[in-house]
Amino acid sequence: MDKSVNSVFVNGEEVQFEPGQTILNLLRKELGEEAIPTLCDAPNLKPFGSCRVCSVDVALAADGPMKVQASCHTPVTPGSYIYTHTDRINRLRKNIVELVLTDYPREKFTHDNPQQNELKKVALQTGIDISDVRYLPGANHLDRPKDEAHPYMRANLAACINCYRCIRACDEVQGEMVLTMVGRGFENTVTMGMNEGFKESDCVSCGACSQACPTGAITDIFAAEFANADQVTRTVCTYCGVGCNLNVATSKGEVVGINAPYDAEVNQGHTCLKGRYAFQFYNHPERLRNPLLKKNGKFEKVSWDEAYDFIVDKFQSIRAEHGPDAIGGISSSRCTNEENYLMQKFIRAVVGTNNIDGCARVCHSPTALGMQRAFGTGAATNSIIDLKYTNCIMVIGANPTAAHPVTGAKIKQAAMKGTPLIVIDPRRTPLAKLADYHLQLRPGTNVAMLNMLLYYIITAGLEDKEFIAQRTEGYDDFAQQIKSLDIDQMAEVTGVSKELARQAAIAYASAPNAMSFHGLGVTEHSQGTFTVMQIADLAMITGNIGRRGVGVNPLRGQNNVQGSADMGVQPHQGAGYLDITDPNAQALYEKHYGVPLPKQIGYKIPEMFDAAIAGKMKAIWIIGEDVVQTDPNTAKVKKALEMMDLVVVQELFMTETALMADVVLPGASFLEKSGTFTNGERRVQRVNKVIEPVGNARVDGQIIVDVMKRMGYDQPDYTAAGVLQEVSRIVPFFKGIKWEELGENGKQWPVAEDGKSTDMIHVQAFKRGKGNIQFFDWRETEEITRHANEFPYIITTNRDLEHYNCGAMTRRTGNVELNREDVLLINPRDARDNGIEDGDMVCVTSARGKVDIKAKITDQVNPGVMSTTFHFPEIMVNMITSDVHDSEAKCPEYKVVAVKIRKSKGEFARV
Amino acid sequence: MAENLSALSGRQGLDNNLFEKMVAGARENGSPDNQLLRDLAEEFLMGKAITYGAASFYDFLKPDHQGKKVHVCNGSACMLAGTQDSIHEKLGTHFKEEEIGHMCCLGRCYENGAFQLNGQNYSGDDIEKVAEYISDRGENDSSYVIKSKLSTPVLTGEALTIEAYASLFRKVITAGADGALAEIKASNIRGRGGAGFPMGVKIESCKNTPAGQKYIVCNADEGDPGAFSDRYLLEEQPLSVLFGMLTAGYIAGASRGVLYIRGEYPESVRVVKKAIEALAAAGLQGEDILGSGFDFRFKIIEGAGAYVCGEETALLSSIEGQRPEVRIRPPYPTQEGLFNKPTIVNNVETLAAIPFIIRAGGKAYAAYGTGKSTGTKLVSLDSFFNHPGMVEVEMGIPFKELIYGIGGGFKSPVKALHVGGPLGGIVPVHKIADLTLDFESFQQQGFLLGHAGIVSVPEDYPMINYLEHLFDFTAVESCGKCFPCSIGSVRGREMMAAAAEDAVKIDRQLLDDLLETMEVGSLCALGGGLPLGVNNALQYFEDELKQYFK
Repeated sequence: MDKSVNSVFVNGEEVQFEPGQTILNLLRKELGEEAIPTLCDAPNLKPFGSCRVCSVDVALAADGPMKVQASCHTPVTPGSYIYTHTDRINRLRKNIVELVLTDYPREKFTHDNPQQNELKKVALQTGIDISDVRYLPGANHLDRPKDEAHPYMRANLAACINCYRCIRACDEVQGEMVLTMVGRGFENTVTMGMNEGFKESDCVSCGACSQACPTGAITDIFAAEFANADQVTRTVCTYCGVGCNLNVATSKGEVVGINAPYDAEVNQGHTCLKGRYAFQFYNHPERLRNPLLKKNGKFEKVSWDEAYDFIVDKFQSIRAEHGPDAIGGISSSRCTNEENYLMQKFIRAVVGTNNIDGCARVCHSPTALGMQRAFGTGAATNSIIDLKYTNCIMVIGANPTAAHPVTGAKIKQAAMKGTPLIVIDPRRTPLAKLADYHLQLRPGTNVAMLNMLLYYIITAGLEDKEFIAQRTEGYDDFAQQIKSLDIDQMAEVTGVSKELARQAAIAYASAPNAMSFHGLGVTEHSQGTFTVMQIADLAMITGNIGRRGVGVNPLRGQNNVQGSADMGVQPHQGAGYLDITDPNAQALYEKHYGVPLPKQIGYKIPEMFDAAIAGKMKAIWIIGEDVVQTDPNTAKVKKALEMMDLVVVQELFMTETALMADVVLPGASFLEKSGTFTNGERRVQRVNKVIEPVGNARVDGQIIVDVMKRMGYDQPDYTAAGVLQEVSRIVPFFKGIKWEELGENGKQWPVAEDGKSTDMIHVQAFKRGKGNIQFFDWRETEEITRHANEFPYIITTNRDLEHYNCGAMTRRTGNVELNREDVLLINPRDARDNGIEDGDMVCVTSARGKVDIKAKITDQVNPGVMSTTFHFPEIMVNMITSDVHDSEAKCPEYKVVAVKIRKSKGEFARV
Repeated sequence: MAENLSALSGRQGLDNNLFEKMVAGARENGSPDNQLLRDLAEEFLMGKAITYGAASFYDFLKPDHQGKKVHVCNGSACMLAGTQDSIHEKLGTHFKEEEIGHMCCLGRCYENGAFQLNGQNYSGDDIEKVAEYISDRGENDSSYVIKSKLSTPVLTGEALTIEAYASLFRKVITAGADGALAEIKASNIRGRGGAGFPMGVKIESCKNTPAGQKYIVCNADEGDPGAFSDRYLLEEQPLSVLFGMLTAGYIAGASRGVLYIRGEYPESVRVVKKAIEALAAAGLQGEDILGSGFDFRFKIIEGAGAYVCGEETALLSSIEGQRPEVRIRPPYPTQEGLFNKPTIVNNVETLAAIPFIIRAGGKAYAAYGTGKSTGTKLVSLDSFFNHPGMVEVEMGIPFKELIYGIGGGFKSPVKALHVGGPLGGIVPVHKIADLTLDFESFQQQGFLLGHAGIVSVPEDYPMINYLEHLFDFTAVESCGKCFPCSIGSVRGREMMAAAAEDAVKIDRQLLDDLLETMEVGSLCALGGGLPLGVNNALQYFEDELKQYFK
């Protein structure tokens, strides 16, 4: 473009601007971030124009008349003359701030640090102090009561200046709309819900308002100490697979608060209540601080040496007696890539078995396997940023507003603004409420449901013939089988009308760019892997691969579940997904590990339990996973652990699993170590140590190295950079990853040798060459065919926003005040039929066992279907879940449990 | 901020309207109850804070409104006429004090003494028959003089028949969108709401913005005390307004028209509703109008007592059921307006001129008036005039001719005229001779034509009290979004009140700073326009006001 067209004069200097750029953005770029004072502007909010402090003078000709314009929302006029500090502007800013100070608490203004109180900063910048205010005392809001009832959120609205930043954050960032103004004009008052205060409102405690507030009117319980912290360390959240960047503030070695950096590519200044507030577990009194050895049925505190000696001695004797395959390991997706790499290396190279698995088994193993079979790579094809470019979103079996809150909020934002949303879920989730098409299917009928969509796409002729011809194989057979489906039967079994399915199918297939997200509602089924492959089919037959705004995007559950699989925590694939039965791969691994390696595929987690019960497996080392509380069929898991000669559990807390251990090793939380986590969009990000491990706890990677050494393997001590370097030599897609070069926002794999990050894969061709299109017929799960007569209802399990998995961490934070128990969601009709009232205890029985849970009557679930969580050990919902597994990946079928219910005879919960 | 709420509200379309449901919910008790607000939030997929916050904004929805049975007008004209204390007192014999509320300007400025009872406005001598009206809300006979000195009136002629409008619309169809637009552009008509923006440019901008759905919005939220020209058109010439919307819709490609009529004008709502039915019966509303393939349907949205809704972006938010807070521009409504769709917002009087423009041609319209201010203007004259009422005059006539000729001068001594509403200029009587009635003349002389409602300030009314009233008006009506207006208006009111009542002298520097801050800093004209009149008063009534200054 012609230079003059995009030039403008800033205080007399000619500069270039971007078309559409606001004056404020231009001025910040040219004159520095702090050059123009602002109060209502915030980095993650849209321009609003309420404070007017950012005003500048603008003339259309060099000596033309000047007009005052608010720079935050006025686009640059080409060729105009912008003056940022004329006398009039300086006066205006000062006079506005003076007006604001007529209704601001004097003591707070005097006491606050201008680095934390933006009003004070702007006041000083514009040359006015609260003592300079000329107005006589008048109407004010200095006596507003404080709101201190919520476990985290605080409001002191006497200090509110009505800039709306909190209200806008609640709407534009989180999309919750809990905050509003009430009243009019000067009497406007920020209000939570229907004047209920934070605690009673629908606030989800994401803290976006607190982070947005410039004056300390809305804060949280950590804000004061955060303001006075010695140090702020950037790291990555330990909770879900979104991978939010966090700024962790510390004072004297204690964590005092967390907020979200605005420049984080993953989360842009946002995070959820788990990431922002649920960190207090780290120094909870119940945190394990010493190694424990069970002696005579009781745990005793022991030294690390004693614990190591015991473990090594046992491992060696068991291996000598029963062979290496009598030993297994479960690594942790909560740990770093480097630690997961070391654990699988220990099991393979030091113990000499492939009995290594991880929690992905019970969550996304079908995703990894299904996507590998379809595309060649078991990872998201695209990135979360693609939500900006997509024209249609399909969410299958996922409730991201609870389980992946930051991604959930982004999907919600897109849907509210009108991007068509299809939700396939048995529950009426928050996204389902917003969806254009909610296919509320019966649990266990995903394959039938997706076949309906595939059927309507193909019969409507909406398939992308060119893409199919050039990029895929298997389509003709597939189409033949799809077309011969009995669509009425599919509608019957899913419970979803043909017309709704047809409309959704057409919406997906006719969008220029459609992207799908899926969660455990897809994978945790007997046909989980097949469903993943059908999702791939949907993307392939509509050509939704290889561009912005498309693809298949699993919402990975744990913070590093992607990474643990990448690092080889699977019994059939080593680091980098190489097949351990392939001689070339074996040779490569053996070269790097310097020892001969086992050649047979090891046990998957459920097979480990079976092997233990069969007496074939004798020892297990479990890191950071509470299999007793979270794996299905608790009684069976317990029996398996009881049968073993050695159970080593490395944990933060005395979990249900740790209680059954012979040795408990105190590991380190994410705050206490360095390494990398890989989020659900293949982004390898640096986890930076914030504090030293508490008590005598040790960094998990170092514990593994210590045991490796004691078992005679020469492994250097744990450093993130060192292990990552070792990984990058073995894992092909980590080739260009170097600790020093990851930067603050990490890199998305594959990272080539030149260090280039990849935000989209399968762009030109699939990793496996041609995409594999395959048909799958729906089969009713055995859980139903075997038990439906006796157990006529279906329970499907889910997660709540406030808690994470077994809740070991979140239950030891303020989150527990927001959500104290697992409840049973039950439809009003089922409740009525069984004489159950809201809040009654319900006895739920399956073929495995029974539990008592408190009923919550809701239309979130259809009649015949119930739903609950397993965050609390008091309930142990997995007493009733089944040990039916995905036929391919052995992921348990948590999502379909046949049960019967009755009002509990006991009046009390089993606490 | 508004984007999500606009989209969510828009999902339900115009027929299931959130704001309308809130207003309907207030009918019984004076404000919608929390359960209704909760249910509406659920239905519209919003947080319940949103409906709760929106309802709290409006005079006729907020909880304070519960139990009010009669409303006394407290607009500037009634206040200056000094009729309202007695109205209040007389109503007090029939109603408890807590049952008497206020409404700001019922558009009865030509005779004052206005109040609203049972959805009916009364004024002048009506108070004497209030006992009758309480039991039987019969017809009240409020007539006012309507005058035009034009040989062919544009706005005030005899109302055309529906058949005449049908044939006029055939003319639009024949001319096509481009042809009709060309006539409007040739007329050079500028918006009558106050800002004077060229209508042709606005319609063209909307026409050129691609979108599946567009809207025509008639801003019938005539809130300025002293003005009743929109009320006149809505009640006496409703088809002209509807025709204007229909034509704008045809040109821009909009299939829905919304009339946002203020709640203070219940009669206007009733009349327009009937006019829409008549249009529908004549095939001028609905699908495939006159076989043109053009679909258009009208919708009336009744306001709920918030002056700021006369600001176009606030008005759009109000229709959407959001708090009517002024939005930033860009985006302009013609790009992203109602429900985020391209929207033309025009004032009643502007739209009402379209039939003339189509009938006589843009050039004929432009032949009236001055080069930059074409056409005619409705002027509202208050009860201080010897000939109060509604006057249509050609733009550019000497102001003196209007005041002393057509208006017949004053019944009692007047020292100033507040022209163009509370945000207009205060013209001292000695300046009348220096003005002609057009946008430019008023601007050059440091005043504002606005919609040309004229409120007389009597000789004996203390100017300091009037200034307090003006600050109070803005303080009460400010949406509260921008700092200069929401805080500044309150501080100004306090300054004036302290000076008038407690002899606290005003710091002139501080007042000047305040006025400058509001004028150049405010987001919209509510804060930005107030200083004009105040500064006029400070200039022309310096002698009277100097006693209040340090």
